[in-house]
Amino acid sequence: MNRNNFLPHVALALVLILVAAFAGQLRRWQKQWRSSVRIMPASSKSREAWNRDEIVRDDAGSFSEPEVLVRFRSGVSEATIRKITAHLHDQVVDEIESVPGLEVIDDLDDADAEAVAAEYRRLPEVEYAEKNYEISLDHAGGGLKHLHPDDPKFSEQWALANNGQNGGKEGADISAMRAWATTTGSDKIVVAVLDSGVDYNHEDLVHNIWTRPANIEQYRDSDLGMIDDVHGYNADQNNGDPFDENGHGTHCAGIIGAEGGNNIGIAGVNWKIEIMPLKFMNAGGFGTTRAAIEAINYAIDRKGAGVNVRVINASWGSTQRSRALEDVIRKAYEAGILFVAASGNASTNTDRTPHYPASYNVGNVISVAALDRRDELATFSNYGAKSVHIAAPGVDILSTWLGNDYEEHSGTSMATPVVAGVAALVLSAHPNLSVDQLRSLLLKSVDEVPSLKGKVSTGGRINAAKAVGAD
Amino acid sequence: MAYNKEEAITTARKDLAQRLGVSEGEIREESVANSDFPDMALGAATSGEMSGQMITPGWRIRLQANNQSFEYRANKQQVRLFNYNGKNYRL
Repeated sequence: MNRNNFLPHVALALVLILVAAFAGQLRRWQKQWRSSVRIMPASSKSREAWNRDEIVRDDAGSFSEPEVLVRFRSGVSEATIRKITAHLHDQVVDEIESVPGLEVIDDLDDADAEAVAAEYRRLPEVEYAEKNYEISLDHAGGGLKHLHPDDPKFSEQWALANNGQNGGKEGADISAMRAWATTTGSDKIVVAVLDSGVDYNHEDLVHNIWTRPANIEQYRDSDLGMIDDVHGYNADQNNGDPFDENGHGTHCAGIIGAEGGNNIGIAGVNWKIEIMPLKFMNAGGFGTTRAAIEAINYAIDRKGAGVNVRVINASWGSTQRSRALEDVIRKAYEAGILFVAASGNASTNTDRTPHYPASYNVGNVISVAALDRRDELATFSNYGAKSVHIAAPGVDILSTWLGNDYEEHSGTSMATPVVAGVAALVLSAHPNLSVDQLRSLLLKSVDEVPSLKGKVSTGGRINAAKAVGAD
Repeated sequence: MAYNKEEAITTARKDLAQRLGVSEGEIREESVANSDFPDMALGAATSGEMSGQMITPGWRIRLQANNQSFEYRANKQQVRLFNYNGKNYRL
């Protein structure tokens, strides 16, 4: 190099280094500022602020901003991801290396995080998208992590978080918020709600309803032929439309998996899940044993076809024993499907007067009793030191009802989906558990309750946090 | 068919008259009361029937004929005869 050219080159290099350093510092300042502010979509206080489009400080004095977690499908390149986010005026702010395709995305327009997530969910390149929920410390709970949903009726859901509201007993709940700090569910887990059908258009359920994937063939019944089972099966009317005409099935479905954190209605035990509606009871809320058998047969068939049906919720029954029903439940066991059933509402001891299907001695059956908001066995609930296994909240339970409505109802019907929901929550975190392992884990995950001593075999109320390993 | 309370009572009276082979005039209304039943079959499931285990409000209708008392259970969706000669019937 010519000595005369050397000095200008050095000077130019120094200028470029200084510019790069300054730009880097600017980015760091920008990042620090971004991570020091938060628009909180969780509490009513924060929603109010959200509406004002303000930036607010939370109680702990920390700040952040609305973000969404987006998982792109396998094979979607980094360049495509950048192109998509740029097109939506967003920015990838982090990559979650342990989960391929999972990106933390910041909306540069500071739009509502749920709306941004919904925008991504519509893209074919996206497997799922959800807003980044706030996880905070539960100071009253000994510093344990918990997740608080923004669903406006959540404060009425004493089964999930009992603060002593309406004369309840504080802590007489299933510790859902602590469980949610570990998992809020998964759309990979399918729970069949074997009931009066489900209002699959309900605004708080519609995103969590199972739809038959394109690669799974239509259901073929040996007598009825092909049935277009888009969202499940109707064994009452032998067709592919399991729409609920009663409300009972919709109520159970909401307890298991009303969409959580969507700022609508209630939160289910699972915020994300696939609910497969199976209808065998009519508008009156009753149906035949034969129809129940056909619906269970359908669930087993779909499992064989590749649908990940892991749990059947059975919030129904009678005192009449059916060998055929028992046989098909055993087949479900062999297929790896847990069968969670209502112990019944006759205030009787089922060790002496069995109630079926809850009383079948099959390895996948869990019989569920009901508790009230003060941790007392519900006056109507059946019990049995040998034949009833576990208890769950089942009195004045708020859940989804027909026509975008919500209602409170009571019964072991309402306690059963709490346990089925916790089973699905466990599977979202531990998808490879066998049905025996799952059942055993659930029955060990209880809080002992004095009123249940000698009434149910575990002597306890289901605890979701324990079940998912959060406690 | 959807029932109101009066229609449920009328249906019950007609059914009992037919079963006993008496005129409706010979049937006396003993009591009609709102009641919570243990399940969606109103605690009166028929053979081979399964029902939702949800507490269900309805009407308990007690009728009297031939110096005997008979219990019907009803709500908006159904009318049932409870424990008639040891069996339940859905009308």
